[in-house]
Order: sequence, then structure tokens, then C-alpha cells
Amino acid sequence: MPFMKGRAPIRRTIEYLNAGRLVLKDKVKIFSVNYNTHGDHHSGARELVFWNLCQIQYKNPNVQVVALKNMTPSPFVRCYFEDGRDMLIDVDSRNREEIIEHLCKVVGKTKAQLDAEAHLAESKDNPANFGYGCDRHCICEIPGQVPCPGIVKLPDHLRGKFIFAPK
Amino acid sequence: MASRGAILLGQCMPCIKKNASKIRIRRMELDKNLNMYFKKEEFFFAHDPEKVCKTGDIVLIRELPQRLTRLISHEIEKVVYPMGDITDPLTGKKVVVGKYRDQIEEANRLYGKSEKAFDYEKAPPRGRLEGTRDFTHGETYIKYHEDGKDQPFAV
Repeated sequence: MPFMKGRAPIRRTIEYLNAGRLVLKDKVKIFSVNYNTHGDHHSGARELVFWNLCQIQYKNPNVQVVALKNMTPSPFVRCYFEDGRDMLIDVDSRNREEIIEHLCKVVGKTKAQLDAEAHLAESKDNPANFGYGCDRHCICEIPGQVPCPGIVKLPDHLRGKFIFAPK
Repeated sequence: MASRGAILLGQCMPCIKKNASKIRIRRMELDKNLNMYFKKEEFFFAHDPEKVCKTGDIVLIRELPQRLTRLISHEIEKVVYPMGDITDPLTGKKVVVGKYRDQIEEANRLYGKSEKAFDYEKAPPRGRLEGTRDFTHGETYIKYHEDGKDQPFAV
């Protein structure tokens, strides 16, 4: 691991960030966690913020992930949807795994949905396409099309100098 | 769905504009080199003619479909956590960082409450001392000209 700095630098590897399980549903726009820095019943929330918040933000780059500290006596997670309503999840005295499990079930995309989206992303690469970023660069490389005029001369009736030449 | 704009959660900052409040949005930005998230702040002006949100409140703002002025691009949707007067959403009781207000009052009552102590029930809403002791409603600046007049916001 390069730059092995800070506490638990494993959190800063792409492999770890990609291993995040929670992909929030499209309707969730803000994901906020309220917890205190002291108190045993907040330890699950604290560990969630320490270990998993980076994963959640990595998997959901368009969601605003906010951690608010020392505001209320009991910890909670609040997800705000795009119509302004919010969902409150009490995480008092729950450990990190339980919280993530619950969140995956409630506000996370299901594995089936994620697989379908991955499949959709793959099949967008149409093998019949040509141009920048595709296998074939020009239409002249496709069998059945006019061959490259740089290699094989075009017939006279398709060349401008013959069509527009004075008779 | 509704073609309303994106919502964001931010904190209200001092602002001297009429009808608008300056909101600080903190987002996390990934540093590609370190693979680490750092806080990046953005400031938005939200339309607030009645000045419902005061400095320090955590508010929910929504992007307006069309900008009201060159700078005002959002509107206040809801004040989520007003500063100093937070209601615990799980129980509905008023809290003060980690303790419920009724617990604090009970402890004070058992120990003996002082008459001059701050009473949450009788205190007026926030803003009573604005201008005399509370100067969070305006932006501060470094004093550049001494003209004999009182400049409470000059640092």
C-alpha cells in the first residue's frame, strides 16, 4: 500500500472502496449520520463512520454524505429523498454490521438490481460501432463498405475532380 | 418525478443580504492520489425573505428551477436542526448535546437551581441579543478605517 499514512490506511485502497456493499437507491439524495464521540451506545455508529462512510461515498458519488457529531443523546442515520421527506433509522446500541445489513435491506439497491445495471452498462458497447474508442477506426475497415481511398483508388464517377471538371 | 431541483444539507453562515441566507454545503471530494476523502465547501445563497434560518442552523435547501437573482439559486426547504434548540427526532424531546433538557432540569432541581440560571422555558426565541451581544448575523471584516463610529462587525 503506497502512502501508508494515518489510522487504518486500508480504507484508502481502491479495492477496499470498491468492496462497499451499500449502493443507495436513486431517490436518496442525502445520507446523514448523527453520533457522539463518547458513549458506548454510539460505538456502532462511530465505527460505521470510521470504516464504511468512505465506501458509501465511493459507491454513491452523487449523494451528499454528512456526518454530524455531538448533537443528540442517541445516534441515528437519516436519509433524505428528493421530494424533501426523510427516513429516520435508530442505530442506538447496534453494531456496525447490523447497521449496514439493515441499511442494505431498507435503502440499498438489491443485488439483482445491481447485476441488471452492470449488465446494461456492458451491452451498451455495440460491437457494430466504429470510430474513437472502438475496435475499428473507420468505416473503410468494415467488410462490405467502400475500401479506403488512400489504399485503393476510388472509381472516377465518385471523385470530385472528374465530376466537376470542365468538359 | 417532480422536476424540482436537487436538495442539499448545509449550515447557515453570517450574511448581510436581505431576503437571502448564505448556506455552506460540505461535500466530500476524493483525492485521487491519496484515495482519501476531504471536505470541500461550497457556498450558496438561499431565498429567505422572513429570515427563518439563523447563523449556525443546519438547513435543507433546494435548487430553484430558475435563479431569482444572479446569486440566489436555492430556497430554504426546512430548518432541520436549529442551533441551540435541537429536538431529538427519535424521542421528540429537546436535547442539549447528549443530554435531555428535562434530565438537566431535574438534576438542577435536586442540586438547587440558581435564580439567575438560564431557563429554557422562559427564554425568548433566538435573536434577543442581536446587536447588543450577539453578532453572528453579519459577516466580519478587518477594520480598514477608523471614523469614530461604532463598528461592531469590524475585527
